[in-house]
Amino acid sequence: MNNTHSKLLLALGAITLAPALQAQEVDTSDWACEYCPFQQGHEGDYEVGAGSVSDDSAYFGNATGLDEEGAYGNLDGEGSYARDAYRMVWTVEDLGLDSRAAELEGSHAGKFDYNIGFRQLPYRRFNTTSSIFLETADSLLLPAGWVRAPTTDGFTQLGSSLVSRNIESDRSIYEIGGRYLAGSRFSFSADYRRQEQDGTKIQGGSTYTNASLLPMPFDYVTDEVDFEARYGADNSFVALSWYLSDFQNDNTALFWQQPFTGAAGADTLAQAQAPESRFQQVTLAGGYSFPELRTVMNLSASIGQITQDTEFLPYTTNANLVADPLPRPTLDAEVDTTNIAVGITSRIFRKGRIKFSYRYDERDNKTTQDTWNRVIVDTFPGGGEELNIPYSFERSYLSLSGDYDLFDMLRVSAGYDRRDIDRDFQEVASQTEDTGWGRVRIRPGAGFDIDVRGGASKRDVDNYDEAFAAATGQNPLMRKYHLAYRYREFGEATLSWSPAAAPVSISLMGLFADDEYTRSELGLTDADELSVALDFGWSISENTSLYLNTGYEAIESTQLGSEAFAGPDWRADNKDEFTTIGAGFNMREIGEKFDLQLDYMRSEGTSSINLDSAADAPAQFPDLETTLDYLRVRLGFRQSERIEWNLYALYQTFETADWALQGVTPDALPLLLSLGATPYDDEQVIFGIGFRYKMGAKKEE
Amino acid sequence: MRLLTLVIAGTLLASLAVSTADGQEGPDYSREGADSCLSCHEDEAMLAIFRTKHAVPSDPRSPFGHGQLQCEACHGPGGDHAGRVRRGQERPAIPYFHYGSTATVEEQNGQCLDCHNSGVGFGWHAGEHPVDEVACVDCHQMHIERDPVLQTATQPEVCFDCHQATRTETMKAFAHPFFQDKMDCTGCHSPHGDDVATSLVRQTVNDTCQQCHAAQRGPYLWEHAPVSEDCTLCHSPHGSNHPGMLAKRAPLLCQSCHSQFGHPSVAFGPDELVSGTPSRFLLGQSCLNCHSQVHGSNHPSGSKLMR
Repeated sequence: MNNTHSKLLLALGAITLAPALQAQEVDTSDWACEYCPFQQGHEGDYEVGAGSVSDDSAYFGNATGLDEEGAYGNLDGEGSYARDAYRMVWTVEDLGLDSRAAELEGSHAGKFDYNIGFRQLPYRRFNTTSSIFLETADSLLLPAGWVRAPTTDGFTQLGSSLVSRNIESDRSIYEIGGRYLAGSRFSFSADYRRQEQDGTKIQGGSTYTNASLLPMPFDYVTDEVDFEARYGADNSFVALSWYLSDFQNDNTALFWQQPFTGAAGADTLAQAQAPESRFQQVTLAGGYSFPELRTVMNLSASIGQITQDTEFLPYTTNANLVADPLPRPTLDAEVDTTNIAVGITSRIFRKGRIKFSYRYDERDNKTTQDTWNRVIVDTFPGGGEELNIPYSFERSYLSLSGDYDLFDMLRVSAGYDRRDIDRDFQEVASQTEDTGWGRVRIRPGAGFDIDVRGGASKRDVDNYDEAFAAATGQNPLMRKYHLAYRYREFGEATLSWSPAAAPVSISLMGLFADDEYTRSELGLTDADELSVALDFGWSISENTSLYLNTGYEAIESTQLGSEAFAGPDWRADNKDEFTTIGAGFNMREIGEKFDLQLDYMRSEGTSSINLDSAADAPAQFPDLETTLDYLRVRLGFRQSERIEWNLYALYQTFETADWALQGVTPDALPLLLSLGATPYDDEQVIFGIGFRYKMGAKKEE
Repeated sequence: MRLLTLVIAGTLLASLAVSTADGQEGPDYSREGADSCLSCHEDEAMLAIFRTKHAVPSDPRSPFGHGQLQCEACHGPGGDHAGRVRRGQERPAIPYFHYGSTATVEEQNGQCLDCHNSGVGFGWHAGEHPVDEVACVDCHQMHIERDPVLQTATQPEVCFDCHQATRTETMKAFAHPFFQDKMDCTGCHSPHGDDVATSLVRQTVNDTCQQCHAAQRGPYLWEHAPVSEDCTLCHSPHGSNHPGMLAKRAPLLCQSCHSQFGHPSVAFGPDELVSGTPSRFLLGQSCLNCHSQVHGSNHPSGSKLMR
């Protein structure tokens, strides 16, 4: 179900599927609804505007299209049309920008509904990048006169060859869907969505000793189709649905000319890119409620298949090397999926509830295994025979919980979850996680709510196969964090207060999770998370309100490694901290003519890494920092019932410290030709003015 | 399956012991339906209901359809509330959806589910929201032409009212475009539980992510095992301090699992930043400078995810 249609379902939902309301016992013959202002006709509310952007910014242009300095025009608005049972609503947004969107939804109550939409979503990553490569179709060529060298300091033509190349892309999304209601019980829906995405992304291209960061062109199309037939009655429903996702890639290979001095014949190198694939899934879902038992049961079963048949590139582009023939021309991949879910929720006890759910997911990769004899980075033939590994897994999740109202103000809950995963071709074949939790919810008074929950889980494995790990070159002491034994404690507490006598609301939340990988000698050994947040809202008067929210989060982890390929000889401590604050103030109808809205947001992130190595003194990386500030003011003036003027001002900054980019000019590293991206240091001031006009007036029936 | 059978059997047996007899007579409805209500409740915000699908007279299933109970279809019998009260006497509250209503969350939601059960109600019972006693009206607004929780730009803030930790995550420097009002929670999550007893719109995490990121689906000749299993093993989809919404900075993220002899095991430190002896294993794209096909490779020579 695509997003638009899911919203439609939420909005229309079962109004159209609804049984007749419980009107049978009431005499409504005199209920004339004379004062009901049912409205008909067209009504619209549109804003034509213009604005000015002070500076280029990839970060702030991301998703907004406001990435370039200069003026822009814009059109936003929404409208609706209603006549009898027929209704349309539409929205246009940011039509003057690369983030434009338009959507139309319509319905004939009780008969059908539909939606048509178009959206663009710009992705802007870097506007500080530059490259030597010239792009032609699926190839990146060196500039004329380029002189190869073994290291970047020998690139004599680098300075004159670099050309600015933004790392960015655009996604266009087209949607159309509809639903037909065949009587009060049956409905049929169909949705189609196409996503076109093209642009440039960063792709590393390497040989044995050096690498180049390539501005890789890409051009993707994904078509999705959802179809569902549903039968819904008072106490039951059943639905059969089919989903198709078809991914097409215009460039399933990337060729680039090697700027470094390389092996003879390895002047042009190649990578395979995302293969074209198709995913289909059929789902049968149903539900039944037992009103007398106050019990609802849900069932869902899906089977699916992913296929991929993109033609392989040869082992190497190096004509000087003799490679084996490929075992087959395409992978002819086939992955079967199965998903089953069962849920039963019952309130058979007046003061209690029991909930059971079971879920099973399977990924069965049926792709044929073959022996492949790779050419190592187009340089050395005979990399050794290897079998491709079609990873499969089975995953089940069982949950049983119950809650009971001890008193009107006190509810206690407890639950048990069990999660099993079986995997093929990995260090751990079978893994089980048991979780127990409890919860207490107290309501000492109206609008006052305290909720505390906590629990623990233990994830265990049948055997961490060190021999398997060693066969793949791993240090046998390594325990991959998603496969390793883990003991977790977790808890969460919320306190919310919305007094009936005062127009304020306060909510305080805190949670933690503490993971210990006590049986891991190498890899992740410890991970903690802490998060607290506070929300405050105050409706000062009918037309004036303010809000404040603030949050803090800390994520810490410790991992051990071994340079000597033995026991641990280095340790890294990672800590990510975030502090966020949002605040706003809204005043409407100041002097009956003016509205004022002010929003401020600040987000600070700091990531610190301490490295303690047996070979060197303890060392701390410079902190990775991100600081985002955002201040927006809107002043509205209502000239008349139809005309309104809006003035906007927006100031936003984004500053980062990032050692992975800082000073990494294209030739900063001898063996890496980079794109020279710099850490973000963006600032924008945007002013805008909008003329808003309300069109049409729906006539009363 | 044995456990499932036991639970079903237990549920059926329990039905024998349950009695739901309720022979009491219900309260009165108003004399004139909506006209009674609108004689007092005539403000613009209240009347916005008449611009919504709940107020379509020609739809017999709408609350305002012919023969239906109009305002009282949702708010419950309003006879006492609309009736005369003595001087100084407090006017009785309307049964549902108003300040002073004594109805429980479950009773209020029952008013909605009476009509919406077959569309959303079944999954609702299977989800976490009813356990947390979330009322339909905690998220949805009926007396407004465009419900904020159904609009992309305004929906996240509705969800963040309760999911505060998620708000903090989405405000991080690298996140999906919630803050830009271009993505909503229901792009990935199914707040009503849908039909599959998960909080996702598709069957699995990967199915959900690959709606928009189908390029990562493969299946590849050389798969990267965690990619095939669960995107969130490496990515933090609500937001991160690291580009690509990665859970941790490379190379340490990769070194959480990879310990092969040689460079995968080396502790690259601050000495290898640009100010020292810059390392291609650490800077730029770190491991991805060479192993760029981290989601998998479809190249016959791509077993090390370099082609």
